[in-house]
Amino acid sequence: MIPIEFFLVFAAILFVIGLYGMLTSKKSLVILMCIELMLNAANINFITFSAYGMGTMGEVFVIMSIAVAAAEVAVGIALVLNVYKVKKTTDVDELTSMRW
Amino acid sequence: MIMEYVWLVPLVPLLCFVISGFFGNKTPQGGGYIAISGALIAFIISVLVSYEYLTGDLYANNLPYVQDVQWLVIGGYEINFGVYIDSLACVMMLFSSLISMLIFVYSLGYMNDQGVKKRRYFAEVSLFLTGMLGLVISSNYLEMFVFWEIMGLCSYLLIGFWSFQHPDGDDASVNASSAAKKAFLVTRMGDVCLMSGLFILLYLFQSLDYTVVFDASTIATVQAENSGLLTAAVLLIFGGVIGKSAQFPLHDWLPDAMAGPTTVSALIHAATMVKAGVYLTARSYPIFIQSADVMLLVAIIGGVTAIFAASMALNNMNIKRVLAYSTISQLGYMILALGAGGYLMAIGIETGNGELITLGVMGYIAGIFHMINHAFFKGLLFLGSGSVIHSCGTEDMRLMGGLHKKMKITSITMLLGSLSIAGFPLFSGFWSKDMVLEAAFGPYANGLGAGSWFCLLFILGIITAFMTAFYMFRMWFMTFAGEEHESSKHAHGESSKSMTAPLCVLSVFAVFSGFLILFGLGDVISETLKVTYESLFMSLHVEVHSGTEIAREIFTNVWTYIAIALALIGIGIAYLMYAKKSINPGKFNKNGEGMLYKVLAKRYYFPQLYNQIAWKAGYEVARGVDFIDRNVIDGTVNGLSNAVVGSADVVSKAQTGYVRNYAGFVVVGVMVLSAVLAALFYVMGGI
Repeated sequence: MIPIEFFLVFAAILFVIGLYGMLTSKKSLVILMCIELMLNAANINFITFSAYGMGTMGEVFVIMSIAVAAAEVAVGIALVLNVYKVKKTTDVDELTSMRW
Repeated sequence: MIMEYVWLVPLVPLLCFVISGFFGNKTPQGGGYIAISGALIAFIISVLVSYEYLTGDLYANNLPYVQDVQWLVIGGYEINFGVYIDSLACVMMLFSSLISMLIFVYSLGYMNDQGVKKRRYFAEVSLFLTGMLGLVISSNYLEMFVFWEIMGLCSYLLIGFWSFQHPDGDDASVNASSAAKKAFLVTRMGDVCLMSGLFILLYLFQSLDYTVVFDASTIATVQAENSGLLTAAVLLIFGGVIGKSAQFPLHDWLPDAMAGPTTVSALIHAATMVKAGVYLTARSYPIFIQSADVMLLVAIIGGVTAIFAASMALNNMNIKRVLAYSTISQLGYMILALGAGGYLMAIGIETGNGELITLGVMGYIAGIFHMINHAFFKGLLFLGSGSVIHSCGTEDMRLMGGLHKKMKITSITMLLGSLSIAGFPLFSGFWSKDMVLEAAFGPYANGLGAGSWFCLLFILGIITAFMTAFYMFRMWFMTFAGEEHESSKHAHGESSKSMTAPLCVLSVFAVFSGFLILFGLGDVISETLKVTYESLFMSLHVEVHSGTEIAREIFTNVWTYIAIALALIGIGIAYLMYAKKSINPGKFNKNGEGMLYKVLAKRYYFPQLYNQIAWKAGYEVARGVDFIDRNVIDGTVNGLSNAVVGSADVVSKAQTGYVRNYAGFVVVGVMVLSAVLAALFYVMGGI
């Protein structure tokens, strides 16, 4: 059996990649994708713990979170599209009109 | 029976106040008939209640009739609201409601030309009567204070009645409003004293109910434990009396209060307001007489006020002001009698001397008796002067004269009133004034400690009696005798029936009310003291002198004849000066240039003194308060709002608008949280 650490380290690497991408990228779509990465890293953790004998609750959660993530992506992309229509850019550093 | 409905006595005028206040203009005479019927009903109930009380068991056993409901509970203190009927309350409500009713009837004629403003007038006088009647039947000091303040408010409103539109033009209306303010503020000084006195009383007795405060054993306990505080409370309460009853040095509002309609002056001077102060002294007698020194002070204030005010009446040219000063002077007599009587009682109780207590009770009776008589003759005199003013259109006596031919009824009734106040034998003022003087002489005659003070006060009283006779007849001769002057030539004759009828009724009382003392009034009045001191009076054989005994005392006393002689001399001088004109009054005052004349005309510079105090002290205090208001209070508020706005400005800079910054904060936050949790796990050793 593959030791549980492999999965956990894998998920952690995935999470950090997503985090790094989110904090450094200026492109809205890339940020959205990075968020998906972090989300899936969490999902992997759920599944892993579930599979290693901590009950089925993790799988239930994952199904929930995939469904919610799908909706979230739909909303996120719709937002990015509309922002692009108005501002002609998707660069998050340009989109600062909501500050003080 | 009817006694259970005694609360209707103040309530009916209160209802009349509401009705005539709201619907007065829809009824004839602007609500005048409503006010009159209210006073009439109050009088009828007072008569029935008094009859029932004075013939009932309670009176025979020297007990008051008390009816209470709980009003407030504050901590351990319980404040009630109710009625307390004893003989003093009966006497007070009888003459207040009767005289008020007569004044209201008179007002129908006097205020006839006031149009829609009659509604305000009749509503306010009804409320005024409510205040007085409520005051006299209150069952505790706080309730009394509420009605006391209602009267203060009404006096303010009524003195300033002409502050908006005076028939004599703008100067008079300014005068009216400043007089109203003065009356309100000066009496306020006294009220503050009174209120602090009540706080001390509440602390000492744990209650403000008359039944508790006037209980002899409770008083003895408090006196033994806290005599200093009790004295302070009594002095503060007397401060309230000084303000309300216009005693020296807070007397100066009363002459100014003449700016109101004459009927209001009559109401204030005869039936309500200034009588409240005397009433309060009489009501609080059981606690007042705990200290002889306090009573000496009371007597001195009274005696000084009496001669002080009388001297200012000597050269005043305003018919109403002369009467105002005479009121202050007569109030001084009442306070003098109460003070002297109280002094005698205090010493008597201390030494267990029944004789002295008897004399003291006679002084008490003299004070109340003089108040009753004064109510009748002063009501009469004011209404008479109102009739004269109504006819002549001026208050200046120099412009009057010779009115006797034009106004027979007014002239004769005022003559009766003047004879009464001057103490002409067998008129009502004669009886009570002699009793007052006798009471003032008592401590000296019995060789007590402060006897020399009282001897002095007695002499002042005698001189005041002479002055009273002089200035009253000066007023009468200047107004009704001699040749006609400017205004009396244009005078339009006798006033209407609604004005002369009350004059006739009052003159009957002014002449004959003195005889009441021969028919047991003294017993009735002294019952109030027996409520507290019944057992003491029994053990020391204190017996109130009977009517015949009083008459014998008065007519066998040499001072009585001296007082009569002085009164007659005063009348005679006034006759020579102002009717026969064989003595020129200008000779004595260097035609108005004399030093004394000027001082008197300037009212001993008391208005200036008040103004100086108000301007110098009051203005500086106001400036200090203004400074605190602008800088401390406003500063706090503004500083607070500036701090909020400023810090919000600073903090809002955190909202950079860069999404990645926010994400970074979230990550850092999560990391910190994780670190804290990990540390907790480490420290606590697992979950």
